[in-house]
Amino acid sequence: MTRTSRAPRRGGVRRENRGLFAIAAVAFGLYVCFLVLPLLLSLRSSFTNENPLRATSSFVGLDNYREAVGDTQLRASLVFTLILAVGVTVAANAVGVLFAMMLNRTTLSYRVMRTVAFLPQVLSGVIVGFVWQTILTQDGLLNHVLQRLGLIDEPFAWLGSPNAALFSIGVVVAWILTGFTTVVYLAALQNIPLELHDMAALDGVNRRQRFTRVIWPMIAPGTTISVTISLITVLKLYDVIAVLTGGGPANSTQSTALYIVQLAFTSDRFGYASSVAMVLLLLSAVIALSVTNVLRRREVNL
Amino acid sequence: MIRKPLLAACLIGALALTTACSDSDSGGGESTLTYLTFETPSLTSTFWNDSIASAQQQAPGVKINRITSPNTDRDAYAKQLQASGQFPDLLQSITPANFVGAGLLQPYDQTWVNANFLLPEGNALKGKVYIPPTNSQVIPQVFYNKELFTKAGVQPPKTWAEFLTVCDKLKAAGINPIELGGGDPFAAGMPLVGIISADVLGKNPNWLQERYAGKVKFTDDNVVTAVNKYRTLVGNGYFDKGALGVKYADSITRFTGGKSAMYPMGSWFLGSVPKETADNFGVFPWPTDDGSLVIPFTVGGSMAISAKSRDIPGATKFAQAWSLDPKNLKALIEGDGAFPMLKDKTLDDYGVTVTQVFEDSYKYVTDQNTKVSSISWATNDDALPPGVNNDFYAASQALFTSSDVKGELAKLDKAWDTATK
Amino acid sequence: MTAIRRLRPRVRVIVAAAVILVFVAPIYLMIVNAFKAQPDILSSPVSLPIPPTIDNLSTALGRPDNLIQLGLRNSLVTVVCSVVLLIPLAAAFSFYLSRRRTRARALVLTALAAGLMVPPQVILLPTIKILTWVGLDHSYPGLILSNLGGGYLSFAVFVYVGFMRSVPEEVIQAARLDGAGGVRIWWQIVMPLVRPATATVAIFSSLWIWNDFLNPLFILGPLQGQTITTGLYLTIGQYSVDYGQLFGIMFLAAIVPVLGYLAVQKQFIAGLTAGSTK
Repeated sequence: MTRTSRAPRRGGVRRENRGLFAIAAVAFGLYVCFLVLPLLLSLRSSFTNENPLRATSSFVGLDNYREAVGDTQLRASLVFTLILAVGVTVAANAVGVLFAMMLNRTTLSYRVMRTVAFLPQVLSGVIVGFVWQTILTQDGLLNHVLQRLGLIDEPFAWLGSPNAALFSIGVVVAWILTGFTTVVYLAALQNIPLELHDMAALDGVNRRQRFTRVIWPMIAPGTTISVTISLITVLKLYDVIAVLTGGGPANSTQSTALYIVQLAFTSDRFGYASSVAMVLLLLSAVIALSVTNVLRRREVNL
Repeated sequence: MIRKPLLAACLIGALALTTACSDSDSGGGESTLTYLTFETPSLTSTFWNDSIASAQQQAPGVKINRITSPNTDRDAYAKQLQASGQFPDLLQSITPANFVGAGLLQPYDQTWVNANFLLPEGNALKGKVYIPPTNSQVIPQVFYNKELFTKAGVQPPKTWAEFLTVCDKLKAAGINPIELGGGDPFAAGMPLVGIISADVLGKNPNWLQERYAGKVKFTDDNVVTAVNKYRTLVGNGYFDKGALGVKYADSITRFTGGKSAMYPMGSWFLGSVPKETADNFGVFPWPTDDGSLVIPFTVGGSMAISAKSRDIPGATKFAQAWSLDPKNLKALIEGDGAFPMLKDKTLDDYGVTVTQVFEDSYKYVTDQNTKVSSISWATNDDALPPGVNNDFYAASQALFTSSDVKGELAKLDKAWDTATK
Repeated sequence: MTAIRRLRPRVRVIVAAAVILVFVAPIYLMIVNAFKAQPDILSSPVSLPIPPTIDNLSTALGRPDNLIQLGLRNSLVTVVCSVVLLIPLAAAFSFYLSRRRTRARALVLTALAAGLMVPPQVILLPTIKILTWVGLDHSYPGLILSNLGGGYLSFAVFVYVGFMRSVPEEVIQAARLDGAGGVRIWWQIVMPLVRPATATVAIFSSLWIWNDFLNPLFILGPLQGQTITTGLYLTIGQYSVDYGQLFGIMFLAAIVPVLGYLAVQKQFIAGLTAGSTK
């Protein structure tokens, strides 16, 4: 009964539903105007040599995409983005699981710690970037403390070489995301029925087995969410890198997202920037969809 | 429970709020002009506000809305504003070549320029002046710490070989020879600007024009040899190992605080020399192979006017007043180490108090000597093609860690060809 | 044995607290150094500010450009306008959608999923073009509209649809029999039932819009005044070597979202939890 009555009538909008339909239509209209349409415009631009400093633009076919294939800076930015995405995702999720297990108690002190652990996620990337910059620069607080403790003799350039800068940015971004992953894994842990723990205790399994056989499979849905969101966040990341290194030194920390903005707004190459944007979009879609798929299938199998 | 009228009220209220925002946005009158500036440790917010107020007195009726570039790369920010449809009416110290191609800039009246400046053509682009040549800079010259030089028992060098010896002795004395603010691309480029301006442009002042004509290339042997000198400096450990992690602002405090003995920088550094210890700092020109004097030089220091401005006469009035305002020049001389280029005026006319090191520097400008365009800093016909400045500075940073000189120079050639295509 | 067992939870708390303290050390540094003078920061960056100074804060608030005050006001206007409009739009859309056939719903939801995935850089430039066509470029209405139409709508719809589907059809049918129209059913019957969803949407979209960087930076531009996030970026730039100043400004800019988070943290965590287990 309910099933059939739930199906609405075909065609037309019921009179009493018109108001609702109007609001919904406005919402969808906005979505089309400010997401779907821009995507299509960007796709269209990617086949042109559009440049705001020139009066005219024309279609250049696949030229932009051909250029993208041979663009070493694009390749470097993609490699940087992917390494950062994978590294940060692994780190933030590993630490997130550890933190969640560590904080999975209900007493007040643990609840306070949970609240505090999420704080990095609340601050804007700009603030996080500036705070970490004062920590990581040559004369920054980290070198200061390390030298005081006698752990290093001379200041280490945390942002001063391509590898160190990659590592430092990775740490900062993982730091931000860990607040999020911790909360997700905590929720997942709390969803594990107590009986499972009891059963495991009865079977006399040790701690490692309890993690691999009970906890890890049971938090799989949390892993799916957490890993997917971490990946997408890094692929979109702009503000933290813009503040910390601005893409330097020597463009070595220029993520694809930064490269697109530089191409569009500094090099004035709207057309080419759009084609690189399409590459990033495709990459994001493939990664997000395939990772979700794999993890979802894993959820079922576990 | 909330009732329908309340919902309607909420929505209307929210919409009204939105439109209220838009109403206040469009409040700007005809004579409000936007003025893009940038801030440095010496050109502070206060300097800009004072200089604007002072110029406004001479150009009444012009309201100025100042915008600040997020970093010293105001060309990039001006382009970003242009790309997002907010090109300012007035743009301080940009590179006109980036914008003239699209017809975005309004040239100054040539008779006004000729009447007021020592080098009226000093900053001309294809015969037109987009930024009045109010002052000049030497970019770079080498500032040095006298006390540290004495400690290491060295004298200011003239030739490249002497320079290397000085670096060596400083290093042996446990002193970091050269300060580099490598965390900011433009500051990372300073040594390379000096080397190429002195060695390549010093021998062939038309090199940049010939590069435009395609007669010479960055990968030519003479450029490669010159740039290899930079690799020598890096390889011998004359810079702090972590120099690419040092921000420009930090490099100033490090040098003035005695952490390094030498600091190749634009003459604007003169404004950051601490008053109390000014006598401890000296200056010498970037050394050449044979010790001949080559001064990498650029003229400009004022603002360009947008051709799209709604009030070009008002903008021009303000820009001209700003460019000739003696109070402004006083602040620029004292605070930004600017060398004034107004006709018929000497330093005394501005009522400035300057340090000895300023006067030593200024002599290189007033003396007859070989002046060449400072590569990547000149904003006249010798300006690099749009966007190539960034590649030039990125190459400087890359060459701090990579020894592939030829490869980096080939990238520059490619970037140049793409930009001029 | 029993003594050890009794001691273990205490050791555990101490270890956990130590780990968390190290983890939030950067935030700790920001807070304590906001209340120290520059020389004290350099000599002992990790110590507590004793006695604390409020010079950094008063200098930050006394800036001639009113960075903090204007930034907070502009951020507030943007967030409030965006969220107040986003909630009814997304909720009505979700309600409408949740009563559609499965296939149509799945199709629209797939289209909306794109909104969660598309990097903002990809659509930034065309968004500015579209706003220019309708004459709303570089204005708050333009920024708010682009917030409403972008990824936030997708997020809000995804949160709402789950909740809306669990509203029993009988409740709606009963209201319909009483002669209530679609809008009334939605606003008077359904909305109160999905309050947790509204809380989640309000909290998270407020936080994200508050912290948003690219859109205000490019869509708003420098002329209309900055939000606090972009204002910090544009004003502080790279030339602040005075750590005390920097931390003072950071502290004031961070205090609103942090207090907001602390005030609603229960709903915050609940929202995340619901989102991640559904």
